[in-house]
Amino acid sequence: MKSISLYVDRGSWLNRLHPYTKLLYILTAIGIPLIGGKLWLFPFLIGCSLCLLISAKTLRQTLPLIGFSFTVIIVIFLIQGLFNHQNQQLLFSVGFLRFYKEGILYATRIGCNILNMLLSFAVFILTTSPQELVDELEKSGFSPKFGYIINSVFQILPQMMATKDTIMDAQRSRGLETEGNLMVRMKAFLPLISPVVMSALTNTRERSIALEVRGFGRKQKKTWLSDRPKHKEDRVIRVILIVLILATVVWRILSCR
Amino acid sequence: MPIISIEHLKYKYPGTDRLVLDDISLSIEKGEFIGIIGKNGAGKSTLSQAIIGLVPQFYNGAYGGSVLVDGLRAESVPVGEMCEHVGLVFQNPFNQLSGARDTVYGEVAFGLQNLGVEREEMKNRIERVLKQLDIWQYRDRNPFDLSGGQMQRVAIAGILVMQPDVMILDEPTSQLDPQGTEEVFRVVDALTKTGITIIMIEQKLEKMADYCDRLVLMHEGKVVDFDTPERIFSREDLEKLGVQPPAFTRICRSLGWKQPDGTYPATLSATLRVFDEHKSDINWKEKLKSYQRSGHQQPDAQGSGTTPIANDAFQNLFRVRDLRFSYSKEAEIFDGLNLGLDDRATAIIGQNGAGKTTLVRLLKGLLKPVSGEIYFREQDISGKTVAMLASDIGYVFQNPDDQIFKYHVLDEVMFGPLNIGMDLSRARENAEKALELMGLRGKEEENPYDLEMSERKMVAIASVLAMDTDVIILDEPNIAQDYEGKKRIGTMIHELSKNGKLVIAILHDMDFVAEYFERVIVMAHGSILADGNADEVFCQDEVLEEAKLQKPYITQLYERLMIQ
Repeated sequence: MKSISLYVDRGSWLNRLHPYTKLLYILTAIGIPLIGGKLWLFPFLIGCSLCLLISAKTLRQTLPLIGFSFTVIIVIFLIQGLFNHQNQQLLFSVGFLRFYKEGILYATRIGCNILNMLLSFAVFILTTSPQELVDELEKSGFSPKFGYIINSVFQILPQMMATKDTIMDAQRSRGLETEGNLMVRMKAFLPLISPVVMSALTNTRERSIALEVRGFGRKQKKTWLSDRPKHKEDRVIRVILIVLILATVVWRILSCR
Repeated sequence: MPIISIEHLKYKYPGTDRLVLDDISLSIEKGEFIGIIGKNGAGKSTLSQAIIGLVPQFYNGAYGGSVLVDGLRAESVPVGEMCEHVGLVFQNPFNQLSGARDTVYGEVAFGLQNLGVEREEMKNRIERVLKQLDIWQYRDRNPFDLSGGQMQRVAIAGILVMQPDVMILDEPTSQLDPQGTEEVFRVVDALTKTGITIIMIEQKLEKMADYCDRLVLMHEGKVVDFDTPERIFSREDLEKLGVQPPAFTRICRSLGWKQPDGTYPATLSATLRVFDEHKSDINWKEKLKSYQRSGHQQPDAQGSGTTPIANDAFQNLFRVRDLRFSYSKEAEIFDGLNLGLDDRATAIIGQNGAGKTTLVRLLKGLLKPVSGEIYFREQDISGKTVAMLASDIGYVFQNPDDQIFKYHVLDEVMFGPLNIGMDLSRARENAEKALELMGLRGKEEENPYDLEMSERKMVAIASVLAMDTDVIILDEPNIAQDYEGKKRIGTMIHELSKNGKLVIAILHDMDFVAEYFERVIVMAHGSILADGNADEVFCQDEVLEEAKLQKPYITQLYERLMIQ
């Protein structure tokens, strides 16, 4: 089955890490440069995330994400470099385009921020099974209904996408033109979308019966097939991450004096 | 004490006036295997949902009387509690998976987790049930990647593992191919020996006769009879109630072969026993032959019994030459297929994955061949779009919900005709004719979504018939149909064929194939194993075995009698 989850199990040490530890990593990676306020902290953390992605053998999956973010970052550079309201000091010019230092600096900060967030989230998303995350959330007291919604999106949405193709064929068989100019496409919209929505609704009703007869609505403490094996790494890494955040706070306070 | 006792149960769905369950009283003993039969709309599913408490708790509506299961009132005990006592499996395997687990093992554990079963106990039970249902080997697979039959077994496992005292199976095989059906029935077979009380709703009455201790015969919300299969199936008024007795009962009735207690046999073994007593009747072969001729084949179908199979005797509508096709590089579906199709009503049979649907999709132009040609009326169709072929070739998809989108039945049926350029009055006229043929007269103004599944299927068929195409392709038209529905579809096929139209149908119901089709094509692994009329095809044992197909019941019986 085609999955819409980006998670890949490569059996790496990051796969084995507790989801919460990786969530804490995101917090650290985003928090440190914000608290520390120094621009050089960004390349440091971006480097960290890249190293993690390489060690988890998931760098290839990250490349399209990085590629996409660069298009956004370039636009930011252009706009800020050219038009930032604080622009004073000319940095360089290409033809009649004049880039200013203040704008470029501002854009660098935003760009680094985007890249940093993206990569730290990538570390989490690419190495964490959604199922595992939801299980852990439920074990720490989140509502099973909330968990079910997240889980089922990953399982059921791809199925809905598959029925869409069948529906398209069924309507084309009845002489519906689905390709052509905008008008033709607009006319084809309703015959294509209604069956998708309606069958999704009927399926939902049936599925809610199926959940009900398997005791989903019970107000009882659930049991679990397995506990996560406790890894020493989890604790060590969490301590390091918290220490890093605290150290940054202290360093910032000291440097403000 | 009975495990289920129902007293004066009455029920109406909200917003309706009709009693779907009308004063039902039943009592079922522990360990019994009970079948519920009756035509579509008789209230079978509603009754089964009342036993677990979904009616009225989930649907609301007006409810009277009482249902006691294990001494618990189904009306008031929450379904979440009741599910420890009663399990429910229904038709669509896909919708029964929780959708929240990515392995078969996890999926089966879902219910146990909700019940709060201890871990060791949970693991023991899961292993036992997965092995019992022969799906242990799939435990690490994603349940959505399995075939229909396997998925349905996972659904059954998910319920069975909760160890209910009563298990309700609501047409668990109606959406499966013959192999999937066989897999599920094998499982049901094993269940009968465990002492669990089973209530099963099923249209395959030959199977019901095999399994059930007693049958509940329902009609219009009432229980008409509750008795042994032989007695129920020997009722004279059965067909009037919309139920066709099993093939064996029909044959024995026509031959006048009764059991000592005055009933007709309902299973193959019982029929053979009765046969021993009637062997002395020297005319039985003649009688059986004449029965086969009268009921088994349509009297005015163009002499299907004697049709020569040489293709050149007929004018070919379709000519397929050296067809190659594959969805991916690794797996080629067709490797040089040749086929001619004339105007004889043609059934294509074979297991899922044999290439049946792929073939008809190629004929319809929904798929394009990798190489080779398909000619329709001696014109190559490769250059035509699906919409261009729409006025020549009609195609009814398996699931009606893939196409229905209008709010009125009549509009839905007129959609196709209007698309292919028919004027309004002719489209309307055709639509009305098609609705009449499919038994939907008087429902023109209803919302298709308010109709039953079986009726929605009829709407889908009518919406293609109204386009008045020369070729009509039907993909499993019989799904969800009861006896009357099947008969109606049979008549429709016959009617179209008489008017010179080519009907091509993919089917899993062999008795239906033998009864209504002049030509039968057997497919397996992308090639044609046999091609001819029903009699010729169904006597080729090796072919049927290779294609994993069963003979029609009547042929099975005939052969067994001949051997004896």
